Parts: sequence; structure tokens; C-alpha cells
Amino acid sequence: MFNSSGYIFRETFNSMRRNPWLSLASVITVMVSLVILGYSIFFLANAANMAKSFESELEIGAFVQMSYTPEEVQDLKSQIEQMPGVESVSLVTKEQALEDFGKTIGGTQSSIVSDVGGTNPFPDKLTVKATDPQNVKDLARSLETNPGLYKIRYGQEFVDQLLKFTQWLRWIGFGVVAAFGAAAVVLISINVKINVFSRRREIQIMKLVGASNGFIRWPFLIEGLALGLVGGTLAAIIVGVGYNWITVYVQSTLTFLPVVQNEVLFRQVSVGLLLAGMAMGAIGSVFSLQKFLRA
Amino acid sequence: MIQLTNVSKIYSNGARALVDVNLKIGKGNFVFLVGPSGAGKSTLIKLLYREEIPTRGQVQINSRNLVRMKEREVPYLRRSIGVIFQDFKLLPNKTVFENVAFALEVIGVPKREVRNRTMATIDLVGLKAKEKAYPHELSGGEQQRVCVARAIINNPALLVADEPTGNLDPETAWDIMDLLYEINKRGTTVVMATHARAIVNKMQKRVIAIENGRVARDEEQGGYGYDV
Repeated sequence: MFNSSGYIFRETFNSMRRNPWLSLASVITVMVSLVILGYSIFFLANAANMAKSFESELEIGAFVQMSYTPEEVQDLKSQIEQMPGVESVSLVTKEQALEDFGKTIGGTQSSIVSDVGGTNPFPDKLTVKATDPQNVKDLARSLETNPGLYKIRYGQEFVDQLLKFTQWLRWIGFGVVAAFGAAAVVLISINVKINVFSRRREIQIMKLVGASNGFIRWPFLIEGLALGLVGGTLAAIIVGVGYNWITVYVQSTLTFLPVVQNEVLFRQVSVGLLLAGMAMGAIGSVFSLQKFLRA
Repeated sequence: MIQLTNVSKIYSNGARALVDVNLKIGKGNFVFLVGPSGAGKSTLIKLLYREEIPTRGQVQINSRNLVRMKEREVPYLRRSIGVIFQDFKLLPNKTVFENVAFALEVIGVPKREVRNRTMATIDLVGLKAKEKAYPHELSGGEQQRVCVARAIINNPALLVADEPTGNLDPETAWDIMDLLYEINKRGTTVVMATHARAIVNKMQKRVIAIENGRVARDEEQGGYGYDV
């Protein structure tokens, strides 16, 4: 078989030159499907990472009923401080909240109050810090039963919503990737089929003089693999460069968002995309070769 | 060497190409297959290089059973059988040398050996001067010589020819027959389907006549035997 490698690669190249547009279309569909796949993987990795970092958040935010007086708020605060598993409680009063808000939008307190109808719209807020991340959920539950508090916010709640969302995304991503992947396989198989047809005379003679089916198949198989590999390589480059760019952008604008920058994951995804591209190519070729080499 | 036992071939469209054919062809024989068009000659030829499989009966070549043979064994059978056609079946974008060498390249023969054997075979069929020519630059007779060279380059035990002189003028046809005769003298069995009355009558070889899919006549040193 090694004596024939020159022949095989020559044939592969020739057939790509014969119908460049179809080859280009095949490469692009492979690329599109794999770009989507690559970004989906990175998005999911980031969502998982984000979920994890929120899960380990120790803080619980709770709003105090508007009707409470400052004294009642102080009582509530010290009452919570006594609860088991609580490390500390800090209070942001409605006045502080108003002041903070005023700073961010650049108005004065009195002007804001008059703008919203004469009363301070902000509630008092307690931030409860747990001693152990394991306790956060139980602690939040028991705070929810406290009549003086409402709107208990903690990491887990956000994480649940995030997970629900990523579940959806997983399915949609899977569907889109599968659809494009199937299109890529079909295009590659058409590509190979056309080349089989344009070389049917040669193939007939090859069979006549006793070339093995394996030998006849190789150039077509390699053609499919090459198309898939080119598509996969382009996809890996686009995903890699694009993700890098997004990372830099996110880190400079949304500094609080944790972004995954994992060299190992990077390499795995790149190699994975190349292999997936080649697999698409191989499947496409095999589809179109199955029928014709039987007789 | 070749043995057909109760062979029938019915195509999927219902055409009965061969009916209960029994034949034995010995090693080194030269055999003409004659008979009207559509009588089953080409089908018989195709059975010999396993282009077709009989509907019933057995085909054996050198005690290999072509009917029970597995698909992946077929290429190795074909390497021991040379085939020549009326329409030559040469690759138009390859030179004489490349067309002949092709038969060796595709079965994985090393490059140096390909070169030597191809040159020797081209020399044998008398085309040494035209080694670099393309098929369209050759006469019909020369093209058929290329086809013969390609068929014999693997030293096949059997050479089958389906009307090899059908597209050639009588004089050129005789050149090809001389070539086949030479090849036969070197020990290769030759089975040739033909309509060339003059050739069959002159060569005085075994003649098998096929009519309506049956063996109608089988004579050693026979003649063509049809009047038209």
C-alpha cells in the first residue's frame, strides 16, 4: 500500500481541483457545524464554572419589611446574628441605599425622593454571611420563615436557574450541531459521489486488472477526510481566536464574571473539532462508496 | 483449466443468456467462441472474469470456484486473468506507458519493477517507439496493442478477449491475431469471442458455437461455420 501513496494523494488533490465549489461548500458546512459545537462547549463550560462559583458564595441577601422601624431592624439583625451557622450580619439601611444610588446616577437624595413620590423607595437590606457554604441553603430556608424578611436571595437560587437554562441550551446546541453535521456529511458524500462518477472509467479498469476494493476506496476516503479536516481546522481557529477575543472583552468590561481560561480544555476542544471534522468526512465518503463498490 | 458445469444465466430482466452450458477448456488451449449477436458469447466471457455470476451451475478456473468466491478474493482472481475488449478501454489522459503501467501500479507493484516490466511488455507488443503517445494519437490497431499489453503484463494464465478485432480493418486484425497467437504459444490460455470468419477459418483452432444460450457445436480445429 505504501508504494501507492503517491498515486492516492495525487488523485485526492485532482478531485478537489475538479469541483472546487462543492469542495468549498462541504468545508464551510463542516466548519459552521463545528464552530457552533465549539462555542457551545465553551459556553457550557463557563456556565458550569459560574454555577460553581455562585454555589460557593457564603452570602445571603434579605430585604426587611418596609414597615419596620430602625429599632426593629436592629433587633432583627441581632436576632439573626444569634442563629446557628451565621458568622456575621451587615446592614445596609434604606438611607445608605438611597445615597449609593444617588452617587451612581449623580443626583441628590432629596431630588430622587421627590422624583419617586416623596418616600424613599429602598428597603433595608441585611447581608447574612454563613460560616460554611454547606449551610447556606438551610440558613436561607429558615430566614424565609422570618416574618420580618422578604426576597431572600442567595447563590443556589441563581445556580438553579442557570442550570435550567444550560439544560435548554444543551438541547438546542445539540440539535443545531446535528443538523449542520448531517448537512456536512451529505455534502461531502455528494462531493465524493461526483468524483466517483467522473472517474468511473478508471475505476472500471482498476477493478478489471485486479486492484483491491481497499485500494480503489482510499483516494475517496482520503478526499472526505481531507475536506473534513480542513473544515475542522478552520473551525478550531475561529473558535480559538474568537473565544480569546471574547475573553479579553469580558474581562475588561464585566470584571465580576469569572471566565474559563483553561489551556487543557482549549487543547481538547481544538483536537476534538479536528477529529469531529475528519469523522464527518469519513462518514460522508463511506456513504457514497458503499453502493458503488459492491458490484 | 476452465470448467463450466450446468451453467445458466438469466438476467434480472428475464433474458436467458445461457442455458445449461457444460464446457471444459484445457491449459494452453486457444478457443474461439462464435455465434450470432446476442447468443450469449459475451455473457460467457463475463463469467470467466467474474463480471457476472451464473444464476445456476458452477464456474471453475484453475480449480477455484468463481461462484462461491468471496467478493474480496475477486481482485486476486483478476490478477491472473487478462481481458481485452472491442473498444480497448484505455484511459485517454494517460500515455501508452502510463496506461500499461497502471495495471501494475494499482496492485501495488514497486516503482522500479513497474518501469522495467512495462517497458518489456510495450516492447513485446511492438510499441516501443510510441511509449509517450496518447491513445488519440494512435491507430486502432495500436490502441488494441496497448490493451493487449495491459492485459498480459501480469503474466496471466488466461487471456479472454471479447471481439478484439471488431473495430479493426482486416490487416490490422491479423497483426493482433499474430500477437495473441504468440502469447498463446508462451503458455497462456486464450478464449476469444469473435465474428471474424476469415480469422477463425484460417487459424484452425478449437471452435465453440453458442446459439440461443446453448453450446450448438464444439469442434477441435473447426471453422466459423455460419454463412453470413
